[in-house]
Amino acid sequence: MKRWGLTVGFVVLCLALLAVLAKGFGKDPHEVPFGMRGKPAPPFQLRDLTTGAPVSLEQFRGKPVVLNFWATWCGPCKQEHPVLTWAQREYGDQVVFLGLIFEDTPENARRYLAENGTPFPQLLDPNSLTAVAYGVAGVPETYFISKDGTILDKHVGPIWPDRMTAYVKALLGKGPLPTATAEAAP
Amino acid sequence: MISTIGYSFVLGALTIAAFGGLLGIVGGLTRRESVYRWVRLSAVGFATCMFLANLTMEVALLRRDFTVSYVAQVGSHQTPNLFTVVSLWSALEGSILFWGAIMGAYLLAFALVYRKDRTRFLTIALGVMLMVGVFFAFLIAGPANPFRPTAPQVLEGIRLAGDGPGPNPLLQNHILMVVHPPMLYLGYVGMTVPFGIAVAGLLAGEMGASWMAPMRRWTLIPWVFLSTGIILGGWWAYTVLGWGGYWAWDPVENASFLPWLTATAFIHSIMVQERRQMLRVWTLVLGLATFWMTILGTFMTRSGVFNSVHAFTQSDIGPTFLVFLGLVALVSIVLLGARGPLLIARGEFKSFASREFSILINNVVFAAFTVVVLGGTVYPLIKEGLFDKKISVGEPYFNFFALPIGLLILFLMGVGPALPWGRGDAKSLRHLLPAAGAGLFTFLTSLGATWAQVMEKASAIWAPMTFGLAAFVIVVTLREMFLPARVRMREKKEDVFTALVQSIVRARRRFGGYVVHLGVVMVIIAIAASRTYSSHASGTLKRGESMTLAGYTLTFTGLRQGREPHRDWVGARLEVTGNGLTSKPGDTSNVILPRSNFYERSTDPVGTPAVRSSPREDLYVSLMAFDEKAQTASLKVWVFPMVGWIWWAIPVFGLGTLIAAWPSRRARIVSDVVPLAAAAGAAPPVPGESAPPAAGAASGGLAT
Amino acid sequence: MIGRRGWRAPLVAVVLAGSAALAAWAPQKAGTEPLPPELEARVQALGKQIRCAVCQGMSIADSPASMARAQLDMVRTMVKEGRSDEEIKAFFVERYGEFALLKPSTEGVNRLVWVVPVLVFLFGLGFAVYYVIQHKPKAEASAAQEAASEDPYVNALRSEIDR
Repeated sequence: MKRWGLTVGFVVLCLALLAVLAKGFGKDPHEVPFGMRGKPAPPFQLRDLTTGAPVSLEQFRGKPVVLNFWATWCGPCKQEHPVLTWAQREYGDQVVFLGLIFEDTPENARRYLAENGTPFPQLLDPNSLTAVAYGVAGVPETYFISKDGTILDKHVGPIWPDRMTAYVKALLGKGPLPTATAEAAP
Repeated sequence: MISTIGYSFVLGALTIAAFGGLLGIVGGLTRRESVYRWVRLSAVGFATCMFLANLTMEVALLRRDFTVSYVAQVGSHQTPNLFTVVSLWSALEGSILFWGAIMGAYLLAFALVYRKDRTRFLTIALGVMLMVGVFFAFLIAGPANPFRPTAPQVLEGIRLAGDGPGPNPLLQNHILMVVHPPMLYLGYVGMTVPFGIAVAGLLAGEMGASWMAPMRRWTLIPWVFLSTGIILGGWWAYTVLGWGGYWAWDPVENASFLPWLTATAFIHSIMVQERRQMLRVWTLVLGLATFWMTILGTFMTRSGVFNSVHAFTQSDIGPTFLVFLGLVALVSIVLLGARGPLLIARGEFKSFASREFSILINNVVFAAFTVVVLGGTVYPLIKEGLFDKKISVGEPYFNFFALPIGLLILFLMGVGPALPWGRGDAKSLRHLLPAAGAGLFTFLTSLGATWAQVMEKASAIWAPMTFGLAAFVIVVTLREMFLPARVRMREKKEDVFTALVQSIVRARRRFGGYVVHLGVVMVIIAIAASRTYSSHASGTLKRGESMTLAGYTLTFTGLRQGREPHRDWVGARLEVTGNGLTSKPGDTSNVILPRSNFYERSTDPVGTPAVRSSPREDLYVSLMAFDEKAQTASLKVWVFPMVGWIWWAIPVFGLGTLIAAWPSRRARIVSDVVPLAAAAGAAPPVPGESAPPAAGAASGGLAT
Repeated sequence: MIGRRGWRAPLVAVVLAGSAALAAWAPQKAGTEPLPPELEARVQALGKQIRCAVCQGMSIADSPASMARAQLDMVRTMVKEGRSDEEIKAFFVERYGEFALLKPSTEGVNRLVWVVPVLVFLFGLGFAVYYVIQHKPKAEASAAQEAASEDPYVNALRSEIDR
């Protein structure tokens, strides 16, 4: 009797381990947790790419801010550029759009924007300290900051119009926050 | 067309393996030994089909036949042919196909070695191995089919682009990638053979001593491949990844280390089983666990559940693997539960001061190490599964445990071989005195030499301790290796050469084992020295500027660039002087060129660090960043003492294993049922005897 | 190590392969100037304990990815500002969760991962001792044997030679 108890015990242990492994399926092991949701957005003081003028988050207090981290070497960032251009046209009067250049040279960024249009101000982030302060874990990432300077959420990966609309509505208090930050790309 | 040919070979392998596997197990259990011929033929057929399937894929790869899905995934006209050949194992589907070929090779070898014998035991063992083959053939035929015809839109994309994407840049960055994965696979897949033997033993109820020696040998062969593969993997990481390290306790590295731990424990405990007829269940547990760990390791690498550099991308083969893992565990545990209690330990322990007790402790340490590595690797998944919280278990955790465990293993490597089987006494302990003296002396001298470092950082004390223990082990080991020769010279009046050769030939296992021990000591010393006494500097140099580190002066003389078919690169030309290197006009032997490589498929450049290697130390330079306009280079420079000794231990492992595992004519398996002979465990056993000891013959197996 | 910074970048690269405009690589920057030795040692020690956000289990001190460099620059800035080790670690945990720490804390369930190996080791030792005592030979048999072999090691050697 005793020996079967031991056997059954080991079988259960093994099955438990396998169950844990099975639970891992469908989850992206590369997904990085994000802890800044609902926290005050870290202040920054950066320079504009074209004018060189100082820009701070502080000066937009009272208006919702959409902060997009991107780089020219990142394919998905280029993919979402038209979406951002569209969003600025659509919501630019109600929401402030800002671009933050992540780990790229000003020349690269200038060249790309000259070809594809500069919809909204682009900021330089030397050494990416602002990106780290915001908890960026790869580009593109888009942050949604409410009027009072709280990070509502971030979108990881290229953003699409429907999601952008939902987030902007949430920022303006006209709709609920979209669930699941995971990509909703087609 | 080529897809169909390749796929039919895979289906052939699947059918043959299923046929042979069932036949072997059923025929063996029902005592129809005549089926062995057919089972053997199945093994040959399985191997042939697998070889042909691999050959077909190589042809498709070399012809860049993008209609085959795997070629569309990794093929490119830009990739040099050598890397095209090895891209067979650069992605998931191909690597499993290659796995099948290796499994075929092992089964073929087994069928050839035992072509004359025809026993129930062999029939079942080969049947079990073929059943494992069924699983892999099924994977290749179904969830991981590399011969799938390419989807039309992908084909269209390749046609538009004019070329395929090519393999992962990390994998085509270094020649070590050609040898490292096959070595690991040879290690992983080879564990199927001892698994087959162990399961057959349990199923047939015959785990006689006659099977111990072959099982040990069939474990030693994959063991040495696994060791080589692990070290080569470290070497690859060191020469390619550019951060100066060789081991990061990454889940996939851990996955290769886990079966190594259990296999090493197994190789030791099986000695106790052979000599003392003890630890029989435990030895089987280790043998079965080793195979399970290899499957778990494959799962970790390929399921997409773990976050690792080495991991292949997400795939659907995970669930299939999980089912197989569960099945193997279930069969193993139930068999052990059913048959284990019959494997009664017959021998006896005479003393704590004995070889068998030291091996017992060795096993405890290895088991604890396995728990650390397995637990640390799986814990983040457990935490996420149960509490939905992502956490990391990384290098600091593993190092915390690995350090004391490593020292303990080193200590046991010194004490164990010095203790006799049976009962040690004051005399045998006295043999330890000179060795202990040497150890203490080394400890104190190296402590004195590095006093400043120890004062600065308390953890630097571990290195002198390691050196002291290593000296202790080396003295003990050399004594054990060469004492028999000295005794022969004295007693039989032989000359040095004859005595040496005779003493080695008559105890090859023992001698080979000690050679491997020396290799392990080499690795441990090198790890301790390179970790504790490394020096590091980083900085940005303009052209003509220089930086110094540990006596070296590196002068930056400008950026160079070049183009290869599959990549562009930029390198920083550096002249190294100091430590015996001088700058002579026209002589470029002191010039190094750390590079950044740019592949079309990767947005981050892949570095190739420049390494100047010598037995004393490595100078290791990584190019972190550069500015072509300003002609600056940002460098990270390290000096690692003795790090090369880690890789140079590979030939030592190989040599030792070769000496120990070379088949001996005497050790043929005659039959399952060994005649009853002398009383168990009575005669004092002979160290390093290569034939199954007579004492073991008393155990006819667990047949009741 | 090779960062996943470009989200799904490899995949997209496959799709776009061949369109020559793709040849765009992340420009690598040098880290900020090292601090004086004793402070820089703290930076490196902290860096070893913090996981790079885009790498696979590597620390920000080891990884060559530019995200890791940026994170290490942040550590350096904070050390320069005189923040304590705890504050700096808390900063990263706030952003990336406990995921950011390579060494799991010793609180709550995490204790298991620290305690279990030690327990296994101690249990193993205990069991080994128990096993030996249980399999001790009967007194008279061992006495007889002991008489036969005064030095088992030399005996063993001799018997080997005589063979």
